[in-house]
Amino acid sequence: MEMVASLFSSDNYTAVKKMMDVSALRHASIASNLANVSTPGYKRVDMSRSFEDELRASIKSRNADEIAEASPRTEVDTLTPSTRADGNNVQIDSELLGLTKNTMNFNVLTDFASGSLKQLRHAITGRPA
Amino acid sequence: MNVISASSITGSALDAEKMRVDIVSQNIANANTTKGIDGKPYQRRIVAFESLLDAAAGPNMQGVRLSEIKRDETPGEIINNPQHPHADDDGNVTMPNVNIPFEMVDMVTATRSYEANLAVVRNARQLATQALSIGR
Repeated sequence: MEMVASLFSSDNYTAVKKMMDVSALRHASIASNLANVSTPGYKRVDMSRSFEDELRASIKSRNADEIAEASPRTEVDTLTPSTRADGNNVQIDSELLGLTKNTMNFNVLTDFASGSLKQLRHAITGRPA
Repeated sequence: MNVISASSITGSALDAEKMRVDIVSQNIANANTTKGIDGKPYQRRIVAFESLLDAAAGPNMQGVRLSEIKRDETPGEIINNPQHPHADDDGNVTMPNVNIPFEMVDMVTATRSYEANLAVVRNARQLATQALSIGR
């Protein structure tokens, strides 16, 4: 029991769960940006910088409770300058790059989560998955 | 959380871009229509997009919709062609104000935006499939 509980409450496992939430939210932000690539005056949405700093610090602390508390949020990016006359600051290529990168990141995260569960199954059944 | 995240946003964008291509095709189809239903030369249509907050997808998330289809009031070119059935007494015909190269550029832009949104759909499906196979 001790081993099962520690597997699911470890800082790594909690961090992976949190980062999967972040990936899902980042995907939604990119979807919003690409949907509005032709909307005049639209400003792109991105993960909040303050949240990213918060998450980085909490992962560094290796404290599972602190990691679980960080709540993913987005912010409107008004810093990226617009290269267009209509004030829209979405760049289709960098958004598509971010989209692919985010999906790859998510793959790594699901692999890690699966790995933890497979280890547990291996321990229970005595057979490698 | 939605299994396919932000699908409503991407869906709205696909709808809007599709509508834009429809309008472009209408403009190109009527590039030589000198007498429309209102008896006047065809006036090209312009679409306007506006974003709308999609609370279901989360704060700051915005879908898109076609807010307006406007007529371009720019006068069309007047050419002298006395043989034309719609020529006036001086033999002048007012052509529609459709500019084919302009429409083609608009069409390519709309197609690229549509493709970008399809890439979002592909990636969303991959995220969902990956999430569903955790532990397998």
